[in-house]
Amino acid sequence: MYIILVYDINTEQKSNVANRVFKICKKYLVHIQNSVFEGELNESQFINLKNEIKKYLRKDLDSCIVFYSRNEKWLNKEFITEPKDDTSCFL
Amino acid sequence: MQNSYYLFSNGELKRKDNTLRLSTEDGTISDIPIEKVYDIYVFGELNINTALLNLLSKYKIAVHFFNYYEHYIGTYYPKESNLSGALLVNQIQHYEILNKRLKLAKLFVSGSADNILRNLKYYNTRGKELDNSIQEISELMTQLSYMDSISSVMGIEGNIRKNYYEQWQIIINKDIEFEKRVKRPPDNMINSLISLFNSLLYNKIITEIYKTQLTPTISYLHEPFVKRFSLALDISEVFKPLIVDRFIFSLFNKNMIDESDFEKQTNSLKLKESSFKRILKLFDDRLKTTITHRTLNRIVSYRYLIRLELYKLIKHLIGEKEYDPFKIWW
Repeated sequence: MYIILVYDINTEQKSNVANRVFKICKKYLVHIQNSVFEGELNESQFINLKNEIKKYLRKDLDSCIVFYSRNEKWLNKEFITEPKDDTSCFL
Repeated sequence: MQNSYYLFSNGELKRKDNTLRLSTEDGTISDIPIEKVYDIYVFGELNINTALLNLLSKYKIAVHFFNYYEHYIGTYYPKESNLSGALLVNQIQHYEILNKRLKLAKLFVSGSADNILRNLKYYNTRGKELDNSIQEISELMTQLSYMDSISSVMGIEGNIRKNYYEQWQIIINKDIEFEKRVKRPPDNMINSLISLFNSLLYNKIITEIYKTQLTPTISYLHEPFVKRFSLALDISEVFKPLIVDRFIFSLFNKNMIDESDFEKQTNSLKLKESSFKRILKLFDDRLKTTITHRTLNRIVSYRYLIRLELYKLIKHLIGEKEYDPFKIWW
């Protein structure tokens, strides 16, 4: 499934939650903007990702939302500013 | 589906936050999600350290390296985790006993020839005059069963390929002088594309072999003493007509490539970097092409077909089911 993950981490209290979550997401998805990730994952990878970040997210303070569609085909992506392809495999 | 990553930039590939980071010479940084990496192909000049190799081993990712001329130079083959002594013994046994080895060698060649014929017949029905060649290759195939040494099986294989390559000028709608296969260095567009994609296919197969219990150095058709992962050469025979040859035909016949994509070296041709990236992308897409598998009754990609072939070989080696080489069935 094709995933867009966004999170909002409360930084009023001193903690390294934001950092931890960021690093975990980076292992699975491509970082496209501050606290926004995107990428294609299979079911098991998605479950692993959720389990890993759940350890750090605080239910009462943080928020993390995942938008997903069955395939990248069912998702339109439009750049209002300069287009940039971060998800390419040709680097 | 996990992706193959192709790195062209010069710079450094390192471990950062338990994932991969590519920092290029011009200062751009890209993070590669490690969970999504299937294998890595390195065409640029990269600095690498052991922390990175450590991470690659943990995730069992093979890295294939190429030099400036896009020639394969080697693979970082992480520690084998799929090991099976029993299979190794069987693999060696099938090599040592001539009858068993001959049987496998013949199967690889006949699989290859079947797929070659399939390609020729496809173009024959599209108005290319290939009847003679189909006839000749079918004849060579029938001779195969009388062969009693590996070198004569190899000879048949060579003759089939030679005959097949002679038809390429008919199949490809372009005026390119291509009479025979020339290597070291390849002398024209077709030869250099064949060399390039054969070696890429060969690397894809190494990645797949790594994911099974097979030992890549023991082979049956090719001699296993050639300082290479020669089992990949055996398997590649079966897949070349489907993956490489058809790809090259469509590149030329759909006008996706011409002389301007190449630059002349002293005595060979080399793809320009921008064209190389574009064509590699097409090749990667081709490997991700899916078909419905007849017996498994589910959708598989070309890449996974290679793995299935290896599983079939394992079954043959442990005596569970006779190996039946992959045939294009559509």
